[in-house]
Amino acid sequence: MTVTFLLGTGILLPVLSGFFLLLNQGRIKNRRMKCTGVFLIMAVTAAAVAALLFQGDCELVLWKLTDTLEICMRIDDLTRLFAGMTMAAWVLGGVFSFAYMKHEEQEDRYFGFYLIVMGVLVALDHAGNLITLYLFFEMMTLTSLPLVLHSLSHEAVMAGLKYLFYSVAGAFLALFGIFYLYANRARAAFCPGGYLPSLDSYTGSGGMTLFVVLLMIIGFGTKAGMFPMHGWLPTAHPVAPAPASAVLSGIITKSGVLAIIRIIFYTVGPELVRGTWVQYTWMILALLTVFMGSMMAYKEKLLKKRLAYSTVSQVAYILFGLSVLNESGMMGALSHFVFHSVVKNGLFLAAGAVIYKTGRKTVGELGGIGKEMPVTMWCFTLASITLVGIPPTSGFISKWYLAMGSLGAGTGFFTWLGPVILLLSAMLTAGYLLPVSIKAFFPGSDYDYEALQKKEPNLLMTIPMVLYAAAALLLGMFPGALMGFLQNLAAGLF
Amino acid sequence: MSGSMELIYLVGFPFAAAFLCYLAGRRHKIVRDRLLQLSVIGEMGLFGLAALSYARTGALSFFLEDFCMQGIYLKMDGFRLLYGGVAAFMWMMTGIFSREYFGHYRNRNRYYFFYLLTLGATMGVFLSGDLYTTFLFFEIMSLTSYVWVVHDEKPAAMKAGEIYLAIAVIGGLVMLMGLFLLYDTAGTLRMSELHEAVSCVPLTDRWRIYGAGCCLLFGFGAKAGMFPLHVWLPKAHPVAPAPASALLSGILTKTGVFGVLVVSAEMFRYDVRWGKLVLFLGVVTMFGGAFLALFSVDLKRTLACSSMSQIGFILVGAGMMELLGEKGALAVRGTILHMVNHSMIKLVLFMAAGVVYQNLHALNINEIQGFGKRKPLLKGIFLAGALSIGGIPGFSGYVSKTLLHESIVEYTAELAVLKEPALWIRGVEWLFLLTGGMTLAYMTKLFVAVFLEEHPDRQKEYDEKRPYMNRESTFALLVPALFLLAMGLLPYKLMNGAADLSQAFLHGETPAHGVHYFVLANLKGAMISVIIGVLVYFGFIRRFLMGKDEKGRMICLDLWPKWLDLEELIYRPVLQKAAVTVAGTVCSLVDRLYAVKELLKGLFGLAAFLSRFCDYLMDNILVFFRSTTHRNRTEQHVYLIGSKVSRTLGMVLDYFVKNIWNRTIGRKNPVERSFVVTFAEWEEMFRRTNRLISVSLSFGLMLAAIGLGLTLVYLLWW
Repeated sequence: MTVTFLLGTGILLPVLSGFFLLLNQGRIKNRRMKCTGVFLIMAVTAAAVAALLFQGDCELVLWKLTDTLEICMRIDDLTRLFAGMTMAAWVLGGVFSFAYMKHEEQEDRYFGFYLIVMGVLVALDHAGNLITLYLFFEMMTLTSLPLVLHSLSHEAVMAGLKYLFYSVAGAFLALFGIFYLYANRARAAFCPGGYLPSLDSYTGSGGMTLFVVLLMIIGFGTKAGMFPMHGWLPTAHPVAPAPASAVLSGIITKSGVLAIIRIIFYTVGPELVRGTWVQYTWMILALLTVFMGSMMAYKEKLLKKRLAYSTVSQVAYILFGLSVLNESGMMGALSHFVFHSVVKNGLFLAAGAVIYKTGRKTVGELGGIGKEMPVTMWCFTLASITLVGIPPTSGFISKWYLAMGSLGAGTGFFTWLGPVILLLSAMLTAGYLLPVSIKAFFPGSDYDYEALQKKEPNLLMTIPMVLYAAAALLLGMFPGALMGFLQNLAAGLF
Repeated sequence: MSGSMELIYLVGFPFAAAFLCYLAGRRHKIVRDRLLQLSVIGEMGLFGLAALSYARTGALSFFLEDFCMQGIYLKMDGFRLLYGGVAAFMWMMTGIFSREYFGHYRNRNRYYFFYLLTLGATMGVFLSGDLYTTFLFFEIMSLTSYVWVVHDEKPAAMKAGEIYLAIAVIGGLVMLMGLFLLYDTAGTLRMSELHEAVSCVPLTDRWRIYGAGCCLLFGFGAKAGMFPLHVWLPKAHPVAPAPASALLSGILTKTGVFGVLVVSAEMFRYDVRWGKLVLFLGVVTMFGGAFLALFSVDLKRTLACSSMSQIGFILVGAGMMELLGEKGALAVRGTILHMVNHSMIKLVLFMAAGVVYQNLHALNINEIQGFGKRKPLLKGIFLAGALSIGGIPGFSGYVSKTLLHESIVEYTAELAVLKEPALWIRGVEWLFLLTGGMTLAYMTKLFVAVFLEEHPDRQKEYDEKRPYMNRESTFALLVPALFLLAMGLLPYKLMNGAADLSQAFLHGETPAHGVHYFVLANLKGAMISVIIGVLVYFGFIRRFLMGKDEKGRMICLDLWPKWLDLEELIYRPVLQKAAVTVAGTVCSLVDRLYAVKELLKGLFGLAAFLSRFCDYLMDNILVFFRSTTHRNRTEQHVYLIGSKVSRTLGMVLDYFVKNIWNRTIGRKNPVERSFVVTFAEWEEMFRRTNRLISVSLSFGLMLAAIGLGLTLVYLLWW
């Protein structure tokens, strides 16, 4: 009963209040009151979800669409991980938005959809079977679309449409897979380690099953920005308002990861895929994305677009970690999920703060910005170092596990290629992030210190950034609790 | 958390002090300066405490579980005691010196903050007991020391910083790859367990160990300034502030050496192949550095190249240690002692260069010529460093160089016993002695220019600069210089003591009969080097590298001043005049470096192109379909005229409506519109529908045809 109540609060409260806000756009004149209200709703939602996560593992059938299709919710360790991260990022992004959205129009619409997506994500993270997962996955795509095309400029609308088309195409690939699996006895709720019978039992259609699994990986991989369906990501992220890009990059792309984990490790089972061409294809796609994303980020001049390409590359780290199909790789992938969410949220917020205060968008314009906004750029720098994976920051931990996973996977050539690509990408990451900080803090000996003006943003902006930067560092220095939790989770899957 | 807390205090204290100094500096500059000096002295004090407790218990170790996943493991043994002590000492001296040197600098707060952070990280590297901890602190150190290099933010500094950071990042990542491989193959990174774990690796996996070793050598060698990764060294040291150069050269390069030693002594203990690799790289570094130094006319650049050369000496020692195996006591002792000596010497020399710079703001030896002519104290201090690095008996450098030389001689003898070809080792020995001579020659060049000759125009101005350093700085310079003298004069007590203390780290043992440093046989090597040095100085430097300017004054390299900025271009004109044979090799070297650069550029371009291709692949496919099968028809604007029939019909109806309908039935609300347009619209709609149907039909037919085709293929195939 508690579970139902908490779950209901977590999902319905933000969705309903989001609708309320949408219906009353522009009618709430007192901005301070509105922001407080939004914050309270987010806080209550987050608290409900947090309470939910301590409830112990359970499953809950909400209602039945037909005899065989049921909407089913589930709480397990994976849910805890994803829901917890989502709530944290959403509240911090919301707080940042209160300051940031001052210089955008139509903020009621923004906050309305922001809340709705929050509720949908709670539901998505708790999805207990394939149908529920798919349902909320699509819903997430649709409700997050207004965040992308918020500014309604031509560029933003086109980017939004691109986002929509890619997502829908990906989701349809996945939907096809879900149909196929349903036709092949995959009707039960998720189960750690998967429950499909081994390939031999599919007389004559084992190859088809594998093909379908690959389609689902590519389909859900669309959201995670995996090659070849990553095209929407570098287009959509830069045009969205900064806090929206942050959560898009930090959380929404990760829902693709969640879906893939649910498919491979909770439905199909890693044993079915291990050693097949699907696993190798998956690895190749992931590694290609890792390298390509970094390389493109290195060539990119627009800061937010550079960060978006970086997301392409970094989320592919996670997918690569999953694709090696062992415990170490799994831990690397899940920890990289947490660390990358933290870091990328922080980076986008810092980029947003710079845009908000100075309007500068390209990397070349950022000379001396570290003197004007030291706190912001310190956060940016710490996050950058984490993303490169320099110890003792957290990025190093996940890289270590990913490399160990790859080296222990016994996948022939890829055993080596994985770590090498990861390190090459780390090198490129250093190449595209560190110069930003260097330019910011070392403007050159001819820099005019007399004309220097402090432009540090207010606390609503700095607090989320500082929290992210601190988390990036501290999670790396003291990863014990988190890694223990992940180890527990990963051990159950193999 | 377990073990001796002293060790973690040693590492943690500077980190804490860094924040303290930073906060203090935001309020009060003088307090901050004093606080910094107190911090470095405090660190030395802490080190003293740790040393005492080491002396009491014999071994200290500290393990902090779960920190950064694998935990950090620190330990204290003889070598770490020695080198931790050197690090703390160097930081103390440069810290004391910094207050005057940085008097007029901007952004001092930032500098001091990173100065202390680097101290903590360096201490962590030297105290680390497993490679994981080493790597952790090594990376922190690489990043924080970047701030030193670019401190004055001039374009040259930024450029040097770029190279420094690039080499640091790449070196770090390659090293990480080595750690991955090693950990995956051997299963441990603890230095004390490494040897056993590696020897358990089956022969088929032996190549993985070599792969890991090469990666680690790359990473550590990059920091040590080992050929061919030395490129950052002659660029970064001159542009950094002098106290920072002293540390970069004296101690940060040693962290790289420390890593190379660990890899050599633990992973590849007594491995001849590995020894030859390290020896070869060492010889090239040694000779190349000295060669670069001969041509340099910048005080700090000469010292930087000299650092590279001395690192080469140390690597030669490491190589000999591997080759000699269990009989390598001399090599072990020589290696360690030369590390210590070089740290101390470079501390003295770079701070002396700092004194010159803080007075004149110039480092070109033609500009600073004569600065030290009438400054006996500075002259004496510099001379102590110069003679020591030149290996003159009575100074510390002589002892370690003699030991290294003896180890080469010993190996020659051993090869003779085994009746193996020993020509190459004779070559190494002669290169060793030649480089020793060159060291003396370039130090003489510096000393003569700065301290013996007079500046033609500004000598009076130089002599009147008084006081040229304050009391703190004098103290900071004098103490290490006296130290060099003391070590050189009392080698049996001090040097042998230091070697006895630390040799267990490299599995050396005290030789049965000690080396007598002041007997003729051992002095002979030094004598040969001195003779070579004199020959090089008078026969090469004075003849080819010095010329007369328009006023008839002897200056260094004044003939080619415009080349001085472009160091890649410096050598060619000089060398082509000086020695054609040597020029051939070096030029091809420079060319090859260019080739590598171009190759990298090409690969980079190709990778970018392919990535761009992948990036746009899906978009391009979509665009292709949009522009072929699924394109929007560009409709011509349709004028609603209609055909003749509809027009005539419309006109008739219009006439009817206008003249009859509107006057009779529709009188109340007459119809005003024209039916011509209506009919035309109907007709257009009709036509469009027709077209749509035909298109759909053709599409359906096409699909049906494809279907039939597929069916046919199916029938034929199966």
